Amino acid sequence: MALRYEWLLPAALAGAAVPVAQIVYATEYLSVEAAQKALFPDATAFEIVPVSAEERAAVVQEAGRFAGAPRVFRARQGERVLGWFIVDEVIGKVELITYALALDAGGAVKGLEIMAYRETHGDAIRLAAWRAQFTGKRAADPVRLDADIRNISGATLSCRHVTEGVHRLLVLYERALAHA
Amino acid sequence: MPVVRRNTRFAVSRGPRFHRFACTGLAAALAAAFSLAPSLALADEAELRAEIADLRKQIDEMKEQMKAMMSQGKAAPSAAAAPSPSPAGTAAPAATPALAERVDKLEQQVSAQADEASATKLFSYGEIAYSHPTHDSGGTQADLARAVLGFAHSFDDRTRAYGEFEWEHAVTSADDQGESEVEQLYVERQLNDRVAGRIGLFLIPLGLLNEHHEPTQYYGVFRNFVETAIIPTTWREGGVSLLGGTESGFNWNLGVTTGFDLSKWDPTSNEGRESPLGSIHQELQLARARDLSVYAAANYQGIPGLTAGGGVFTGKAGQGAPNFLAPDARVTLWEGHARWQPGPFDLSALYARGTISDTQALNLTFVGDPTPVPKSFWGAYVQGAWHAWAYKDYSLAPFARYEWFNTAASYEPVPEGLGVPPSPTERVGTIGANFYIGPNIVLKADYQKFHVDTARDRFDLGFGYNF
Amino acid sequence: MRRSSGWHPRLVVAAVAAAALTLAFVAARGLAIADALDSGAPTPVSLGEKIFADASLSASGKMACATCHDPAHAHAQSNDLSVQYGGAGLDVPGTRAVPSLQYVSLIPRFGFGDDGPFGGFDRDGRANTLIIQAMRPLLSSNEMANASIEDLIQRLSVTPYADEFRQVYGADIFADPNGAFQALLFSLSQYQTLDPDFRPFNSKYDSFLRGEVMLAPAELRGLALFNNPQKGNCAACHPSHRGPNGEPPMFTDFTYDNLGVPRNDEIPANADPTYYDLGLCGPARTDLENQADLCGQFKVPTLRNVATRHVFFHNGRFHSLHDALQFYVQRDTNPELFYPVAEDGTVLKFDDLPPQYRRNVNTEEVPYDRHPGEAPRLSDAELEDLETFLNTLTDGYDPTATPAGN
Repeated sequence: MALRYEWLLPAALAGAAVPVAQIVYATEYLSVEAAQKALFPDATAFEIVPVSAEERAAVVQEAGRFAGAPRVFRARQGERVLGWFIVDEVIGKVELITYALALDAGGAVKGLEIMAYRETHGDAIRLAAWRAQFTGKRAADPVRLDADIRNISGATLSCRHVTEGVHRLLVLYERALAHA
Repeated sequence: MPVVRRNTRFAVSRGPRFHRFACTGLAAALAAAFSLAPSLALADEAELRAEIADLRKQIDEMKEQMKAMMSQGKAAPSAAAAPSPSPAGTAAPAATPALAERVDKLEQQVSAQADEASATKLFSYGEIAYSHPTHDSGGTQADLARAVLGFAHSFDDRTRAYGEFEWEHAVTSADDQGESEVEQLYVERQLNDRVAGRIGLFLIPLGLLNEHHEPTQYYGVFRNFVETAIIPTTWREGGVSLLGGTESGFNWNLGVTTGFDLSKWDPTSNEGRESPLGSIHQELQLARARDLSVYAAANYQGIPGLTAGGGVFTGKAGQGAPNFLAPDARVTLWEGHARWQPGPFDLSALYARGTISDTQALNLTFVGDPTPVPKSFWGAYVQGAWHAWAYKDYSLAPFARYEWFNTAASYEPVPEGLGVPPSPTERVGTIGANFYIGPNIVLKADYQKFHVDTARDRFDLGFGYNF
Repeated sequence: MRRSSGWHPRLVVAAVAAAALTLAFVAARGLAIADALDSGAPTPVSLGEKIFADASLSASGKMACATCHDPAHAHAQSNDLSVQYGGAGLDVPGTRAVPSLQYVSLIPRFGFGDDGPFGGFDRDGRANTLIIQAMRPLLSSNEMANASIEDLIQRLSVTPYADEFRQVYGADIFADPNGAFQALLFSLSQYQTLDPDFRPFNSKYDSFLRGEVMLAPAELRGLALFNNPQKGNCAACHPSHRGPNGEPPMFTDFTYDNLGVPRNDEIPANADPTYYDLGLCGPARTDLENQADLCGQFKVPTLRNVATRHVFFHNGRFHSLHDALQFYVQRDTNPELFYPVAEDGTVLKFDDLPPQYRRNVNTEEVPYDRHPGEAPRLSDAELEDLETFLNTLTDGYDPTATPAGN
């Protein structure tokens, strides 16, 4: 029969790839608490910082629309402000990508974590090496694909939208958080 | 629809009562949102959006008030006039984190509603091409190469249906030359953190162009020859596949699918010479499926900007066709590619080679015909593009590409004098530029020079969009 | 290994009963059919076979269908007359050469396609079904010459198989001559359609296509010339490859062509210089007489069994396959070999067409796209190879017989 061997390899790999006990549904990799812990391990408290409509409108004018509503938290260790933790969403190709951006007290990017990626393709943005490109960026930096941020072939849309999102959040910092 | 009560009067000076008013207002809003939830789910989408916009506006207003309240509370606790002593002063800042949290939750609720409203998304891309052969102006042609409409629908967070429908050459009918086809139709599900599965009609993940063939994703007016004549873009098969990736950037894709039908080979036409696999593909159109095919593809993308990978597709093509003289013929296609995007540069290279085995007896019945079945065919290209200029959302990317391809590089032997000599390897140089208007619209121009069939030298213009 | 939860006993009984009933039903039906076939009961096909071979159904008493469509000669003529003689005294000449009825039922209905007209029975496609086609030779004055339908049925009613005819079509079938005529035509049609003798597909080429035998080198060279669009290009109208579902090639695409075949003086009707047989536009066919571009076009016949023929083309102008092939390649390079030459040396090319239709002749397709002075598309040696290949299309090849010298 022509089919016999052709089925063997993918079937074997399917068996290996899917855990037998339980299929874990996990397109959400980090909850907000887990992301906070990952990006600010020393923080003792996270305060919600509301962003007014005017501030948001100013950011949108300069850096494009938000896909959702960014949630801004101020990270404190006791009385000291460690920085800002922002949860934002952008569209990948079809679905929303939820990510967390950590800024240090001076407003430079401290880290970027992907909290939820809901598509089967183009999740190259989860690569640590790709996210590491943002470390140290400020609002003054271009933060643009094919300029100071490298693209990953086949994931262009996700890479572009996350890059634009980070740039937008840096502008948000300038407008709303730097003086708070 | 219940009306959300607006509580616009905030008396800053009265502490506890203010607290009550603010809480009442927020609680009312929350209650309204939660009670609205089921009816929102049933509402018309336009109404839904209007509700969401309204809620957002109210949240914004409340946040304004809260912000003002917070700065006043912090800056001048003593400014709070009597009769509110320190209890009010301490109560106000203590209340605001709680308030802020509830606003935050409300916003999330609204976002979730907005998400549900857009579970189905539409896509489209289209391209128009104008080509002017430089040695034959009578062959100048303008064509709506393709118009594609597609949808993606999310059943839940990890299951999706995807469809793509295409019209080529504008008009399709029994008397016209256009084609309308289903390009993709599949369902995919994220099985666990790292592996997803697909079932249906989907694109084969070989080459750089097949899976990313929208007009904004390639340079030049026409898709390159290696990935149309050798790899038959857009190449799709029906079957099941598993795909996934590792944390280090290694992506893989395996599948079992339908394959090719060699009994469709027409030795009297030129189709097999233009694209061997293109002339025998089935595209799930009443496809003969006795002999299935398998493929495996892998890509390394661990270093941002670099993609290197390849794959193989193999399967028998006799399909049990009655009285067919090549029942055990096997079609195999290998390819390897690399793409490096340092800063504004975009460099790529690809090599593909296909073989069809066991064609000797069949080709003997084709002696004298212009297009017997080839034993091997191959192609390769190198390409460089430079995103040279950008202003606002306009950008210009000149590029150059050189390709080699041979659609009949060798044949199984036939008696002396009766065979067809292997084709010469065609070489095409293309030079041109893509001009992008935003990331979704592109204008293109290029010039192509052919080494063997110089009558095909041509100047092309193109337009494409993608969303 | 027996499982404790096996088939429920009642389910087993029900299944067996159902199976038994089904078997009984199928057996009964099958036996009925088998009865009809095995026990020699008459069928339309068997009657058709008898009628086909029955010379008593003609005015002369000596002409059956099989007289001109001899089963031993691929259902075509066994003599080499360009036209046959019929009528009561077998002295009235016909106007066209006898076509082979081998594979006749595979010809589609007449129609107009993208490339022009196609299909239909007779050389001009004027009969759309085998039933309609069979009417003419039975009643035509230059063939079997029955004076009328009643005349024919009268002859049929006294044949040895008249009782079998009644068995199949009803005891009082002869009371209604028109009904009996329908039944006679139906029998002939069924015979030509269903009898395997009319579609054997057992030539050497068919064995080659099944991978059972290899063609000899000359035959393979001939096949290559047959297929080659720059040499013989025969396959352009006489396809040599299997169809999309593995059907064997018919060696005709059932279309029509005008080759400008020279006028045949052996046909008595051609003694009248104003008489022209124009095929699709007349005179036998009348519904297309206004389509001037079709004048002179005749149907492309199958090349299966072509090597068994004694006369070639619609007017039997050539009497050997070699001569017919030579006409294809040298019609335009050496027309003086085929057409009359006037006193001043000019060749009266396409003399079987009135002057206004001579431009209808196909002069663009290989191999008859040549001009005087140019070399023919095929040399003499290549023509021989082509003829050798065409001999492989003759039915009745036995692949197991030892080849007598390859």
